[in-house]
Amino acid sequence: MLTFAAFAAVLLPGSPAWAHAELIASTPVRDATLAQAPTAVTVTFSERLNPEFATIVVSDSARRRLAASAPVVDAGSGTVTLSPPPGNGTYTVAYRVVSVDGHTAQGSYTFTVADPALPAAPTTGPPVAAPAGSGGLPTGPLIGLGVFVAAITLLGYVSWRRHRRGESQ
Amino acid sequence: MTPRPSPVSRRRLLAGGAVAGLGAVAAVAATGDPAAGPAAASAPLDPGTATVPFHGPRQAGVAEDPPAHAAFVAFTLAAGTDKRGLARMLRLLTDDAARLTQGVAALGDTDATLAVLPARLTVTFGFGPGLYRAAGLRSPVADLPPFRIDRLQTRWSGGDLLLQICADDPLTVAHTQRMLIKDARPFAAVRWVQQGFRRSPGMQAPEHTQRNVLGQLDGTANPRGPEIEPAVWNPDGSTTLVVRRVRAEIEKWDLLAVTDKENATGRRLESGAPLSGSQEHDEPDFTALDDAGLPRMPDFSHVTRARVTDPALKILRRPYNYDGVPNALGHPDAGLIFAAYQRDIARQFVPIQQRLADRDLLNEWITPIGSAVFAVPPGCAEGGWIGERVLT
Repeated sequence: MLTFAAFAAVLLPGSPAWAHAELIASTPVRDATLAQAPTAVTVTFSERLNPEFATIVVSDSARRRLAASAPVVDAGSGTVTLSPPPGNGTYTVAYRVVSVDGHTAQGSYTFTVADPALPAAPTTGPPVAAPAGSGGLPTGPLIGLGVFVAAITLLGYVSWRRHRRGESQ
Repeated sequence: MTPRPSPVSRRRLLAGGAVAGLGAVAAVAATGDPAAGPAAASAPLDPGTATVPFHGPRQAGVAEDPPAHAAFVAFTLAAGTDKRGLARMLRLLTDDAARLTQGVAALGDTDATLAVLPARLTVTFGFGPGLYRAAGLRSPVADLPPFRIDRLQTRWSGGDLLLQICADDPLTVAHTQRMLIKDARPFAAVRWVQQGFRRSPGMQAPEHTQRNVLGQLDGTANPRGPEIEPAVWNPDGSTTLVVRRVRAEIEKWDLLAVTDKENATGRRLESGAPLSGSQEHDEPDFTALDDAGLPRMPDFSHVTRARVTDPALKILRRPYNYDGVPNALGHPDAGLIFAAYQRDIARQFVPIQQRLADRDLLNEWITPIGSAVFAVPPGCAEGGWIGERVLT
């Protein structure tokens, strides 16, 4: 036992483990399936957060960032308001927050919106990385663009194959 | 305007020589050949006698690879010092600097034997707003606006005249500081002195980015090569200098894990690579997202906030570490003498400092406790003096 204690004392880092903020609650909760889209996302941690340094990003299944307010921090919680509320689909909440003692906590979880009154989850368009700080992008035109690009690519490929075949004959 | 010849090639040669010397010692040790010993031992002591030219259209001590030791000496002009008094003082100090940087004792040097190893000594003159006031001239530099992170102390702030003394040897810096203060004494009082250090000469290749006392690679984003010209030098050979004393709260920094530190800086601690890349000099990609959709570069990291993409708006950082006497609790008195050169303080330095003051996670562990601005006038030809074009 003494040996173990000495061993642990050597191996454990000098930083106090209790200082790390951990996610202890969230709205919507992890893996929730909601019959109505949320208008806000709140993540709550075991430590008070530094209100100046909080990043909360909600993305759809194509990693497109949803339009959201800047995070509002209250003690150990950070909230972003989603406008408009998302349609049906699976969403990822990702956070990078800093507790008042300077430690960073970072992680993510997903929830699903399945509102019977709304159309079924749209098929996933091409993943477009939205730059940090930009709002969400309208999905309709992007899907249209994706279909267009795919069609052009396919056309190009077919004509290239024909061309190649012509060469080899 | 001919740029000052770069000392880098010479340094490389010296570094190569040092390695070869070590190799010779190792060979002696391995073979036990006594004949090889004296030859290796009598190799010339190049780092001590190396010099940087003093005269030229631009002052030395700006664009060269920074020597290992520095003293920043700020003066307050004696009341009533006018243009003619300033000219007398600057003629005297220029003559001292011209001699000492070339390994020659100053006139009236009371310890001439200490002048023989200049060790790349440079003396760079900076003129504060008060010097221009004394001369009845409009100052090209103005004090920085206040920043909310500032906890400025008078004893590290302001100054009418600055002498930045740099050399690869601390005794050379000490002797030069002593001679220059002695000759400035009739005209100006010492306001503050900040002494700092970097890695010793020969420890790392000259272009290697050095670590600061917080363990971070410091200076990765500096302008390099042809980028220095538009960022630093005005057509007349002048530039400007900001000296900030930045205290590092190391006892708090020590409580962090490596990932906490990396999120604060935006770079990997070991490699210096941005969190969006893999090599130190990879351009940070602020649009890169991780699998969960988070920006790989934290939006509150130091690098994200400090980033400048227009090469003409970059600043040339030339920082020195300081490490004083710890207090009774063992908390270090350490940090950075943050010296930055740029053409225009208001256009280049202030916007960066403002973005950092607004939202930089690193602010949790660093605090500016001193601040001063100086115009760095052009260099002078042999027989001339620093400031002649400003004051005559």
